Amino acid sequence: MNKRPSSTNAFVRFNDAVGDQWSQISDRLLVSRGASRMLILVILSFAFFAALNPSVFLSPLNLQNIAVASPEVGVIAIAMMLAMLTGGIDLSLVAIANLSAITISTLYSAVAAGNPAAAEQLTPVLVLIGLVVGLLGGLFNGFLVSRVGITPILATLGTMQIYNGIAVAWTGGSTLYGSPEVLTAIGHATVAGVPMLFIIFLLTAGVIGVVVSRTPLGLRIQFQGANPVAARYSGINSRRVLMSTHVVAGLLGGLAGVLFIARNPTASADYGASYVLLVIVIAVLGGTNPAGGFGTVAGVVLATLTLQIVSSGFTAVRLSAYEYAMAQGVILILVMVADQVTWRRRRRPQTTPVDPVAVGT
Amino acid sequence: MSSPSSEDSPVAALQVRDVVKTYGGVAALQGVSLDLYPGEVHCLAGENGCGKSTLIKIISGAEKPDSGQIVVDDIVHHAMDTTAAIKSGIQVIYQDFSLFPNLTVAENIALTAAVAERKRLYSRRASRPAAQAIVDELGLDLDLDADVESLSVADKQLTAICRALVHEARVIIMDEPTTALTHTEVSRLFSLVERMRARGVALMFVSHKLDEVLAVSQRVTILRSGRHVLTADAADLDPASITRHMTGHDVDDARAVSVLPHDAPVVLEVEGLGLPGAFRDISFTLREGEILGVTGLLGSGRTEIAESLFGVLPAARGTVRVRGERVRLRSIDDAIAAGIGYVPEDRLSQGLFLEKSIADNMIAGSLDSHRTRWRTLDSSRVRQTIQQLFDRLRIKAPNVGASVRSLSGGNAQRVVIAKWLANRPRVLMLNGPTVGVDVGSKQEILDILRAEAAAGMSIMVISDDAPELVSSCHRVLVIRQGRLVHILEGQEIDVTTIQERMAA
Amino acid sequence: MNTSGSSVSVLRRLRGANNEGVLALILIGLVLAMSAANPAFFTLPTMFAIVRSSIVPLIFALGVLIVIISGGIDVSFAAIAVFAAYTTVRFSTSITDPGLIGAFALALLVGAGLGLVNGAVIARFKLPTLIVTLGTQGIFKGALLTYIGSRYIADLPGSMAAVSTTNVVEISVDGRDAYLHVMAVPALLLCLAVAWMLRRTMFGRGIYAIGGDQEAARRAGFRVVRIQVLMYVLVGMLAAVGGMAYQIMGRSSSPQELVGGELDIIAAVVLGGASIFGGRGSVLGTTLGVLVVQVIGNSLILAGVPSAWQRAAVGGLLIVGVGVQALAAKKSGRRVHTNVDDPAPEPEPEAEREREGARA
Repeated sequence: MNKRPSSTNAFVRFNDAVGDQWSQISDRLLVSRGASRMLILVILSFAFFAALNPSVFLSPLNLQNIAVASPEVGVIAIAMMLAMLTGGIDLSLVAIANLSAITISTLYSAVAAGNPAAAEQLTPVLVLIGLVVGLLGGLFNGFLVSRVGITPILATLGTMQIYNGIAVAWTGGSTLYGSPEVLTAIGHATVAGVPMLFIIFLLTAGVIGVVVSRTPLGLRIQFQGANPVAARYSGINSRRVLMSTHVVAGLLGGLAGVLFIARNPTASADYGASYVLLVIVIAVLGGTNPAGGFGTVAGVVLATLTLQIVSSGFTAVRLSAYEYAMAQGVILILVMVADQVTWRRRRRPQTTPVDPVAVGT
Repeated sequence: MSSPSSEDSPVAALQVRDVVKTYGGVAALQGVSLDLYPGEVHCLAGENGCGKSTLIKIISGAEKPDSGQIVVDDIVHHAMDTTAAIKSGIQVIYQDFSLFPNLTVAENIALTAAVAERKRLYSRRASRPAAQAIVDELGLDLDLDADVESLSVADKQLTAICRALVHEARVIIMDEPTTALTHTEVSRLFSLVERMRARGVALMFVSHKLDEVLAVSQRVTILRSGRHVLTADAADLDPASITRHMTGHDVDDARAVSVLPHDAPVVLEVEGLGLPGAFRDISFTLREGEILGVTGLLGSGRTEIAESLFGVLPAARGTVRVRGERVRLRSIDDAIAAGIGYVPEDRLSQGLFLEKSIADNMIAGSLDSHRTRWRTLDSSRVRQTIQQLFDRLRIKAPNVGASVRSLSGGNAQRVVIAKWLANRPRVLMLNGPTVGVDVGSKQEILDILRAEAAAGMSIMVISDDAPELVSSCHRVLVIRQGRLVHILEGQEIDVTTIQERMAA
Repeated sequence: MNTSGSSVSVLRRLRGANNEGVLALILIGLVLAMSAANPAFFTLPTMFAIVRSSIVPLIFALGVLIVIISGGIDVSFAAIAVFAAYTTVRFSTSITDPGLIGAFALALLVGAGLGLVNGAVIARFKLPTLIVTLGTQGIFKGALLTYIGSRYIADLPGSMAAVSTTNVVEISVDGRDAYLHVMAVPALLLCLAVAWMLRRTMFGRGIYAIGGDQEAARRAGFRVVRIQVLMYVLVGMLAAVGGMAYQIMGRSSSPQELVGGELDIIAAVVLGGASIFGGRGSVLGTTLGVLVVQVIGNSLILAGVPSAWQRAAVGGLLIVGVGVQALAAKKSGRRVHTNVDDPAPEPEPEAEREREGARA
């Protein structure tokens, strides 16, 4: 009503607004601490190897190799992150991916034996079937975890053996040759020098990123992992959340299978056996809390790139794959230790003044 | 041990001298002292957050004091560690018992002693007689070969007591020992306490239940905000004086309740609600804008009634109507769909996502109502809702991005309330809305409830805090033995009446 | 009442704390079914073959069991095994053959050192065991291949090679020779030793206590950090023995083997009744679990099913076993999900009434 106070009010409001914006920015940085840390690591590792051996490391071929090798691992790592967000884990993802690739290859070969042209025509259908295989695998995982109530690590340990067993039995343990040429073409295609596979990877990451942080389902997944009891009391249906998570993870596994076969026109039951543990490393490195509730797609994408850069960087400076395996382990443990130390320091002063046991009686 | 007689025994079994402990600048204990004599039951009383738990942790060696001493047998300890405490004969029976669920009763009893003796080998057969002896001596009926996991709460506690005694404990501290017990179990515990006292054990009871405090103890020490208020003979105290010392002021009996319009429509109508083993035949109505108190002793069924209406413990019998329409409450989803919200009793484990931000916590219950056409979250509306509630409930935090762990009890509770307000329920039930909340914040939370009620929400406050009910409720339901025994209205609502009716 | 009570307790004992009885029944059932289907199955040579193929998995499973009882998961044991065994062979072939005892001592020393790394990181920083051992797995394997060697060694040093062809039992039945490899003896001894350690030493009980409730163990005076570190050292040594047994029985040494099969061993241990949440598990159950897995493998071959289905069968068995437990747990008080939010653990109506008079 009165003009003068309102003008000072406006100033106060403006001041508050600025302060608020600033704190929101700093918060966002803090919230995605995992992602920003990974960004620094990506840049550092890139700069490091570029400086050590620029002619090899910065060659277009090497950069393209990084971009072609990351997508399949990255997609599975994103799926792993989803499972970890709910406080679980999914060990069956690589087996699902292989099963999907094998299905595509087998069906293609079967059709191509009679009519090669028709087999090419059917490519979209085959891809779809590959994705459906992933979806079914995820559905069964979700059923075991959310309905039967088996701990995710055991449920997926079991299904990993089952899916892998089916794949081994189906292929007789041998490598299948035969895949739609269109897929192979896509696997080798580039858009403005960027491999198609990498673009697919980024698109997938973008979609899942939106799902995780910008949809009710994504937030429910995070809440379920952060505190299942509180989630239940907030009206979050844990069965539905766990089921959806595993289905989406399975779908991503199926997609990874398509990427496998696009990059390499073969399929076998034991392809990517080392990925099972590698993707856990990537997910954790990317800031995913294995206990659930926290993790970002951006962090996982950056972690995938970091490991790929370190891998090809090691090759560029003539270090072996063995040294790379070592570096991977060292990085993982250092990051976890660093997290643990800062985490403890951050929360220690605040934990005990309230009597936690006394609340609620 | 010398004589079992209590007060005149000159040698204290345990002395605590000027113990100070601060956590990150917050003083939890500010120079607390007390003596504990053999053959006495000493009650340590105080409100939540007064420092009881911290004191126990320091005596048991789980925490180190900033300064002060603990004296056992003329040996001065500046800080205990767990082993030293056990060696000195100090045993703590924690509220959660700290038993090993995967081991048998006999092993649970025997292991701690074996650890303290620094044994290297363990023999199931050799350790059994000791366990059997203590069980027999106390005249208990415990299956020594059962896994602790499979025991009832009372038997778990008995196991914990046996474990404490088998190692020649001279000081036993029991943290809220009666919380989960039925009446028979409580009297059995008390007779056990008498027997332990006769053996010359010094017992410390930590409790905030006044009736128990007076029934079992010889002396009482009261803490308030980390300070020692007084130590006195139990005979010289009564519930009212203890309350006064615990809270630091006289009981506030003032009412601040709006006048409900006569034609305020009925929102919730409960008829003949029953759940075997918890409550039966509960019928009441709740009107628009009304604040209804639901009170009763712990275990009276008051929490179960609320959880039934929220679909956590679906009722076996009875009907519930919301705005005249019959609703089935078989799950939490049902309850939320019917417009019922619930702020649970245990804020930390049931109400909050501690590491998540205030904003995330606020939106956790109303995600679907902030959706766009594309099934994504409408971030501008989300932000609007959050900022509005943050301002309206005057949550004291730098901003909505701060993690809930950093908040005080009162502010954390506002976040839980905000989560439900964002969902705009017709009926909001709050279980112990101000437990563990400081006095100032308590009034503000009650003001928030009054404002919401005035805006048309119907509110149920489940609480045993009589002054709080008096100051905020239009009517108060008294639950006893799982039955609705009184509905107090208007002038009937005062602290004494509520307390009498609850316990009668 | 009395008789039924005692019969219940007899049943309880037969069933075993971790369903060992059930597992034994499954094993016997499998053997009987296979014998009925194929007479070639129930013969000493087959039995000895199954035992032989169980030796290495069993030794690994013992280590995995100990870690699982303590509430952790170890996926680095295969890397430790191959590191210790290959290093020993490298040393023996290139420098000097220390003799059989010396070779084992060297392998044990290496295993203990690597286990110490695991234990120190896990106990000091309180990190999730799965993540830490994932990391150390990479480090150990990488370090082995980088610094020790990556070459396949076809000939073991003399002392070890001599053991490779030694059998403890050689019987000729119906014209077929049955051999029981000598490594079965240390495997058996290790089983007994670990079982004794877990049941009869305070260290062993401490491992159960930590797995049951780590905070309670600390409050009870167990030195949790020390127990954890020692335990990982011990597990590292077990892995080293497993690695040595693997090379001796395979009569060669390759740094590229073993790693990758960790999850199969973990599956066998879980199948053997160990709880992934810690606190439960027994050597007997684990042994049965390993045997069941091996028998299934053998049965499928004899039954004409491609051996490829073995993994699927083990996975299916794991799912069924754990699933039945999960459903049972759900039914009995929904303990799995609601131990926190069950407000009153099923109070009797009478007791409920009595609660009221608490002050009287």
